[in-house]
Amino acid sequence: MNNIKLGVFVLGGLLFLVVLLYMIGINKSMFGGSYILKARFDNVQGLIKGNNVRFAGIQCGTVKNIKIISDTVIEVTMSLDKKMASIIRKNALASIGTEGLVGNKVVNIIPVQGDSEPAAGRDIIASKKMLSTDDLMQTLSRTNDDLAVVVSNLKTTVLRINNSNALWSLLNDNGIPMEVKNTLINFRKATGNAVQITNEVDQLMMDVRNGKGSLGVLLTDTSFATHLDAAVLKIKTVGERADSLALTIHSMASAVQKDMDSGNGAVHALLKDSSIVIKLNKSLENIEKGTQSFSEDMEALKHNFLLRGYFKKQEKKKQAENKKL
Amino acid sequence: MLKQQHIEQIEGSKPVNEQEPVLQVSHLYKAFGDNKVLNDFNLSVNRGERIVVLGKSGSGKSVLIKCIIGLLRPDSGGIRMLDKDIAGLSHQELDAIRAKVGFLFQSNALYDSMTVRENLEFPLRRHWIQLTHAAVRKMLEEALEDVGLAHTIDMMPAELSGGMRKRIALARTLILKPEIILYDEPTTGLDPITAREIIELMNNIHAKYNTTSLIISHDMNCVRLAASRIVVLINGTCYANGTWDTLTKTEDPMVKQFFE
Amino acid sequence: MALSKPMGKFLTETGELSRFAGRFFAQWYKPRYELGEFLRQCFIIGYRSLPLVGLTAFIMGLVLTMQLRPSMVEYGVESQLPAIVGIAIVREIGPVITALIFAGKIGSSIGAELGSMKVTEQIDAMEVSGTNPFKYLVVSRVLASVFMLPVLIMLSDAISLYGAWIGVNIHSTTSFALFWTQVFNILSFSDVLPAFVKSFFFGFAVGIIGCFKGYNSSKGTEGVGQSANSAVVVSSIMIFVIDLLAVQVTELLGLN
Repeated sequence: MNNIKLGVFVLGGLLFLVVLLYMIGINKSMFGGSYILKARFDNVQGLIKGNNVRFAGIQCGTVKNIKIISDTVIEVTMSLDKKMASIIRKNALASIGTEGLVGNKVVNIIPVQGDSEPAAGRDIIASKKMLSTDDLMQTLSRTNDDLAVVVSNLKTTVLRINNSNALWSLLNDNGIPMEVKNTLINFRKATGNAVQITNEVDQLMMDVRNGKGSLGVLLTDTSFATHLDAAVLKIKTVGERADSLALTIHSMASAVQKDMDSGNGAVHALLKDSSIVIKLNKSLENIEKGTQSFSEDMEALKHNFLLRGYFKKQEKKKQAENKKL
Repeated sequence: MLKQQHIEQIEGSKPVNEQEPVLQVSHLYKAFGDNKVLNDFNLSVNRGERIVVLGKSGSGKSVLIKCIIGLLRPDSGGIRMLDKDIAGLSHQELDAIRAKVGFLFQSNALYDSMTVRENLEFPLRRHWIQLTHAAVRKMLEEALEDVGLAHTIDMMPAELSGGMRKRIALARTLILKPEIILYDEPTTGLDPITAREIIELMNNIHAKYNTTSLIISHDMNCVRLAASRIVVLINGTCYANGTWDTLTKTEDPMVKQFFE
Repeated sequence: MALSKPMGKFLTETGELSRFAGRFFAQWYKPRYELGEFLRQCFIIGYRSLPLVGLTAFIMGLVLTMQLRPSMVEYGVESQLPAIVGIAIVREIGPVITALIFAGKIGSSIGAELGSMKVTEQIDAMEVSGTNPFKYLVVSRVLASVFMLPVLIMLSDAISLYGAWIGVNIHSTTSFALFWTQVFNILSFSDVLPAFVKSFFFGFAVGIIGCFKGYNSSKGTEGVGQSANSAVVVSSIMIFVIDLLAVQVTELLGLN
């Protein structure tokens, strides 16, 4: 009885040992039929004897041997499950990959489209150079370097924006929009004046057509009318331009504001130097000057000897009307 | 001097009483380090004798008996037992001699892990004696009946009393029907009544099987009842030699102290 | 001799133990073979130790898994838990823990048994009964230890892995088949074989030291207790020493 128990005990232990070894053996393709395939690489990336071989992701064998043929050719001999003999074709590609991110190396055999004979034992199948992790890492590190430069640039930009008094003064200066507004008012006034002038000229023309006064000189001088037309047109354009300029400034200001809020700015080129603000101020000044000189022109026109009488008459009429009122 | 007489007796060509010697110990030396336990010890035992070796504790009695059975190897000197020189024997030959020599241990030496039956069977099995089951059972029963403990056959030694254990040990010694039985302090550790029973048992067995007995003891009761001849072991030598009657009458102070 | 007393005692004992082991090697293969006693000892040493070894192995596998889980989770490799536990059990925990339990149970029982046999002259009695007590007692027990401990270790590996599987399943669900596959996928012969080989040495150490201590037990019941105690202590230390040697040898042989 005791011997029976002892027998069961010993057999139990041995059974587990055998199962253990057999299971490992199956995993290493040590039992059952196997056949040999070879592939040549220029770099095996740390592949070692015993690493797994996979066909389309299925475990099907192990690396049996790695032999250096020449300084650029390394032959990897793989021991594969016999069952795979009818499946792996001659045109299959072998590549070296990694199990997981930092796991063991594996040889992946990838089936390729197109007809081909099944690979027989000891055949050499083609190999495919894969991006090794090293290469990946190298690229990654270059990208990283670039990124570092970009980031540092960005940082200086942000710093500059932060430290840029000009920009902040531009953004904080309430006077500028006011000035722009004033300018626009001036424009409107100027335009209004121009309309009035045109009306007055119209009336003058009517008077001329009606044969009033000694306006022969005026009529013969067509160039004057042309000048007048061009002047009007110009005034119109200037007004439009001022409008769009105001719009541009507005959108720019809001864009800058947004950029500042979100912390990145492609506007730094615009804001790179404070001179632009000065220029901006100057152009506004110029516009103002232009408007002013136009007013002066108008005044001058009033005092033109040809039209003096007309203006006087107008004035008188006005005065009479005022009196009437 | 008694000592002198004895040596002449041994070295004489013929023993006095015409009987064949079954055990002869001559010029035996045994030392443990500097302690010379046996120092030129001589003894001759004839068939059918019941010799008691008397000595104080630590005087080397146990060493003597262990040298005789081959458990200890003497430094020099010869031991001749049943016409074989113990020192020159191979293991097999020594075992063959031991099959004819019983040894009763002071502490009985019953195997704790075995039943009484297995204890008794052990020497039978170990000496390569081919026996049928029936024969073995008969021998077991006989040996147990000799010691009067037939009912204990399936008990473990731990379940037995001291006297019973001694009897079982004796039965185990008897089972091979030895020609010589060596008793190492057979009454030590037993109460006087049990000790007397054991001595009676020893004498009965002696009478029944005509064995030769060599008894080591310092128990005077045992010496008186069991001995046909007494050897006094003092200072590693056979100091005195004689019957109970002669030794009780001696004037030698060294011997006399045992008998007072 | 300028050696201190304990040092001298230690060296003497080492020398005696070596001599004892030498005597074992000189005798174990020679007839007569104590087959019956060997099988009896196999039963006692092997089969009777299974419940104790099995229980400790089960708990060990379970606890090891539960202890490893938090760190595995922290590193995000919880799915590798069966693999790492399998490696730990088969390579190291199984053999060493089992051998230590074995030393505690068998080393002490051999030491005490032979010690008391020595003290009560049973060993002498065997000798005069036509038995070579060294073969009958020592060779049979040492051989039984040598052959039973590897069997015990195999069974305890299996039980430990079962315990580990339960440990994995406490917090997540893994089928036994998946667990099994993961364990066997990570294991290789170089994990199993050195562990298996060293278990024979563990068995030999426990057996020979237990027998040596018992066989050379000093007189008296105190001596018996001391032999049992020092048998356990010395064989446990020897297990670790052998383990250290084994790992270095496997490294040298390139089996890691």
